[in-house]
Amino acid sequence: MTISEPLGRWTAVETIGKGVQEAPALKSGFGLTLALAMVGAAGRLAMPILVQQSIDKGFEQGDVRVGTITTFALIGLAAVIVGTVAQRTAVKRLGTRSEEALYALRVRLFEHIHRLSIADHNEEKKGALVARVTGDVETLAQFFSWGALAWLLEGTLMLMVASVMLAYDWMLALVAFIVAAPLGFVLHRVQRHLVAAYERARVDNAQVLTSISEVISGAETLRAYDAGEQYAAITRRDSHQRSNSFIRAGTIGAFLFPSGEVFSVLTVSSVVTVGLLRGPDSGLTAGALIGFVFLTYRFLEPVAQFTEVIDQTQTAVAGLRRVLGILEIPIGPPEPAHPVHIPEGALDVDIQRVTFSYQSRRDEDEPPVLIDVNAHIPAGQQVAMVGETGSGKTTLGRLVARLADPTAGVVRIGGVALTQVSNLELRSRLVVVPQEPFLFDGTIAANLGFARPSLSPREVEQAVVDLDLGDWLESLPDGLDTDVGQRGSALSAGERQLVALVRASLVDPDVLVLDEATSSVDALTEVRLTRALDKLAVGRTTISIAHRLSTAARADRVLVLEHGRLVQDGAHADLVAVEGPYARMYEAWVAATTST
Amino acid sequence: MGEIGLMPDWASVLDMTQMPVPTDLGESVRALGRPTGTSVAAFRLLRCLLKGHRRLFATAVAGASVFAACTVLSAEIVGRVTDRLIRPRFEQGSVGVGTVALVLGALVLVGVVRGAGVVVRRVWAGRTGWRITEKLTHEVIDHVVAQPAPWHRRQSTGDLITRAGVDAEAATAVLQPLPYASGVVVMLGLSAVWLVLTDPVLGLAAVLVFPAMLSLNIFYQRHVDGYFEAAQTELGKLSSAVHESFDGVHVVKAFGAERRETERLAVIAARLRQARIETVRLRSTFESLLDGVPNIVNIGLLIGGAHRVRAGAITVGELTSFIYLFTLMVFPLRIIGYAFSELPRSQAGWTRLRQLLDEPIEADPQARLGRRSGNTVDVRGVVVSHDGERDVLQGVDAHVGSGRTVAVVGSTGAGKTTLLHAIAGLVETSTGTITVPDGVTTLVFQEPFLFAGSVRDNVTLGAPLDDDAVRGALATAEAGFVDALPEGLDTIVGERGVGLSGGQRQRIALARALVRRPDLLLLDDTTSALDPTTEAKVLSNLRATLAETTVIAVASRPSTIALADEVLYLADGVVVAHGSHDELMASSEPYAELMQAFEHDRDELASDLADGGLAP
Repeated sequence: MTISEPLGRWTAVETIGKGVQEAPALKSGFGLTLALAMVGAAGRLAMPILVQQSIDKGFEQGDVRVGTITTFALIGLAAVIVGTVAQRTAVKRLGTRSEEALYALRVRLFEHIHRLSIADHNEEKKGALVARVTGDVETLAQFFSWGALAWLLEGTLMLMVASVMLAYDWMLALVAFIVAAPLGFVLHRVQRHLVAAYERARVDNAQVLTSISEVISGAETLRAYDAGEQYAAITRRDSHQRSNSFIRAGTIGAFLFPSGEVFSVLTVSSVVTVGLLRGPDSGLTAGALIGFVFLTYRFLEPVAQFTEVIDQTQTAVAGLRRVLGILEIPIGPPEPAHPVHIPEGALDVDIQRVTFSYQSRRDEDEPPVLIDVNAHIPAGQQVAMVGETGSGKTTLGRLVARLADPTAGVVRIGGVALTQVSNLELRSRLVVVPQEPFLFDGTIAANLGFARPSLSPREVEQAVVDLDLGDWLESLPDGLDTDVGQRGSALSAGERQLVALVRASLVDPDVLVLDEATSSVDALTEVRLTRALDKLAVGRTTISIAHRLSTAARADRVLVLEHGRLVQDGAHADLVAVEGPYARMYEAWVAATTST
Repeated sequence: MGEIGLMPDWASVLDMTQMPVPTDLGESVRALGRPTGTSVAAFRLLRCLLKGHRRLFATAVAGASVFAACTVLSAEIVGRVTDRLIRPRFEQGSVGVGTVALVLGALVLVGVVRGAGVVVRRVWAGRTGWRITEKLTHEVIDHVVAQPAPWHRRQSTGDLITRAGVDAEAATAVLQPLPYASGVVVMLGLSAVWLVLTDPVLGLAAVLVFPAMLSLNIFYQRHVDGYFEAAQTELGKLSSAVHESFDGVHVVKAFGAERRETERLAVIAARLRQARIETVRLRSTFESLLDGVPNIVNIGLLIGGAHRVRAGAITVGELTSFIYLFTLMVFPLRIIGYAFSELPRSQAGWTRLRQLLDEPIEADPQARLGRRSGNTVDVRGVVVSHDGERDVLQGVDAHVGSGRTVAVVGSTGAGKTTLLHAIAGLVETSTGTITVPDGVTTLVFQEPFLFAGSVRDNVTLGAPLDDDAVRGALATAEAGFVDALPEGLDTIVGERGVGLSGGQRQRIALARALVRRPDLLLLDDTTSALDPTTEAKVLSNLRATLAETTVIAVASRPSTIALADEVLYLADGVVVAHGSHDELMASSEPYAELMQAFEHDRDELASDLADGGLAP
């Protein structure tokens, strides 16, 4: 199942049914809302009926019965007031319920997406996930504030108008429907072109925004290469194209209303002509015929709007389908039904016959990422996993951290299979420090506190000192209150790693999985990192995904992976001494780091 | 029939919300507040906006006026339909065919002309708005491109993008509904005249209702906008929080904070829900009133009209016209409120654009660089301060000979990057002089910026260079991976393009510098994302193809330093030592210490090995 593709297998009705299931607020009390909308629509029809009644019974053959008209008018007034109040209540109910429903849906999505496996959170899919929660749910919100409202108010109105027309004179009503019918067809055609034209304009608009953002984000580069004018020219061209597209779409849209207007006058003329031909002998009254003029207007007014509404409804259903598709993706490593506690104290890690393939690749001929890996890591041991890119060392680290479950085999910590441990307990005993640590926009203290929100500022500060980072803390402009900026951009890569190490230490885990950074770090920070790491590793089972052989050399034991298999396992000194992949890597590395 | 044609405007409104509108937009709009002296300010805004496009706008207003006149006419005709056709037929038994044809013919004709007026108004209003948006966008882009690098460094990128992309569009937003609003004013005038002429008493009473309905509309629009804005701000906050939370999903998972994060986001989502529900409350009340009030007015008209008909002042048909006209005017009166609602947004957009465009173009430090033939570089007493506070370079002196490769070494904050940027003319120097070769200087940034476009475009940046030159430069930069990309040189990179590793991006950026055959090449830690073997190949290719070029490279690891002829050692913004690596190791204690820190790892390992009896 992919995230970006809509799930075609659900029909619109099924999709809406499932949507209501996920957000029951939509359904509760909908019958009453609909009934209130009907009353509201009846109120909006009071005027044409009043005109008809007054003309037929109030102005007879030159005699004006003001009393009768006043009585009718007062009844009409009551109907208008009741209708207005009913309509207001209906609109409020629909709006409130839909906001409740959208809120519920958003929270469901947050929870579900956070629980999806890391594989579903890769770079390509991340954008789609954000789009589901922001863009697609917003599409639904817009539908509820316009489209759904139109269905509710205009839909009931059209229904009522048609009923009144049929009640007045079914033959005239038929004439009106038949003459007006082609309008639906015309509007449908115009609408199709309009949607295509606006889609084009939307793409062109995105292009302009991209061009602008490039000229601005790349300003230094353009300056350094004296290429500003070339890129400004591209933006001007894109902006001209956008104007053309929007003007074209606007021109098509300009014909929507006039076609409604033309059909409206044609329908009124036809109804009046037929009405005049039939005359009073058919039982038709002057009031009813004039009433028809008003009713035709009321009937056709929403039609053009409905072409738009139907289109918006389709968009909303498609959005809902994509949103529900997310909820269909099974969550990442599932929670055990009957969790088993991990024993207290230091923990060993046991990797038994572990094989792993990425789900999406299962059908293809690609070999598994890990093949039958076995290793027992005693409590407190410092292990480094090395291997080339694609060797499977990162994946093995993820399996140990239970960011994914092996396809076959089992990983145990403290003798308990990871699949038996509750997520919350596991995270309090095992912590992963990722390669590019992510920091939230906020202070360093807030980022550290993310590990354990209950800690006091003093305790957090103590943790920094405990990792021998007191001098770093003093070098920061505002100490722990220093702002890290978006994604930690105000700090250097090395400093972000320092924050991540302190953050991990606050959990006081028994097992550490470290994904070593590849980016270069200045010498001073490098020294601090090494110091902090040494402190942090003391007394903990530590598994490093090592990119530098210096890390491997310092470890108690090295696991060498090649093409998904564990090919060498031993101490650095022993491995260097024998012919094999490790010795080769080591030689290349020594050559590269020698400067003199 | 009402103005159904408003709908496509919704489409564009929907479109706007899909745009990445920065969250601070709502705030800045609010900060600017409601315009003071609205009408004067609005008039001034319109005059500025419409400069050069008055004819387009006038056409749109003319179309709207035709629509307005036809609306009043159609009400008059509905009265005739009642008086001349329906009543004679139903009360006297017959009506002439000629009369029927005449009245109904007029009805259809007026309807068609009314529709044509709408087409003219909408098409020309769109043209006015978009052509002016286009003009403003061009002005902003030209202005931004003309500003030198130091100016750009002081700006917030997001804010500039908003000004060029969103504010230019916002400034003209008022132009779209304005012709319609003008048409409504015409309609109100004509209606008033027509109503009073038809029956002074009833007409006058009806006309008095106009201002009341207008105020109700404007009052509502003003209020609802505040609520919409508040909800939009909450939406922006939610979007950025969601973005960040999903970006940090590794951290969330590492600390088992899934539930905590969901709760945190739920709180923000609840604020959005609350803001939206408040909007709904206001909307439901006013929209129902806007539907109900005209109906109540109509009922009053009916009662009053009955008296006037009995008095013989008007006919039943004329009374029908009155009521019909009021029905027709409900919708137009609504739109006038909508037009006013766009005014603050346009004004805010325009103000922000003016702030940008009124800034003078700053002096370009590139113009101040001394030029001299021969590929030497001279830096004399150069001081550079950031924000006028801290001196990043505190009097740097250096001379680099022609064709030399110099490594700039120093710890973080020593001023290495600033020195390179000063030599490239990208930062303002407070004192001192810099002399560079009188030819091409290129700089490769630490963080390469790839434009959304093909690999070729990213190398040429629009300069007239053929594919052989591009391929040659890519080969020198060891960017052979380009051939393996799906479309070769035509592969789209940058945002939304294929994903490239940091090292691959660096090599494309390097080719961009090399293809220009520079006399001076500045590398800001460019090769750090490459592995040492590739780095060595790149630098030897460089020497082979550009033998005369002077290279100044910021270096952060021993392998890079090893490839340089000489080392410029910076500390705290001054040159501490300058010479060969060996000389500096011998003469400069801090330099030797720094090198030791670099090689700490290796030395430690070497001692480990020595212990194990495995010394190489």
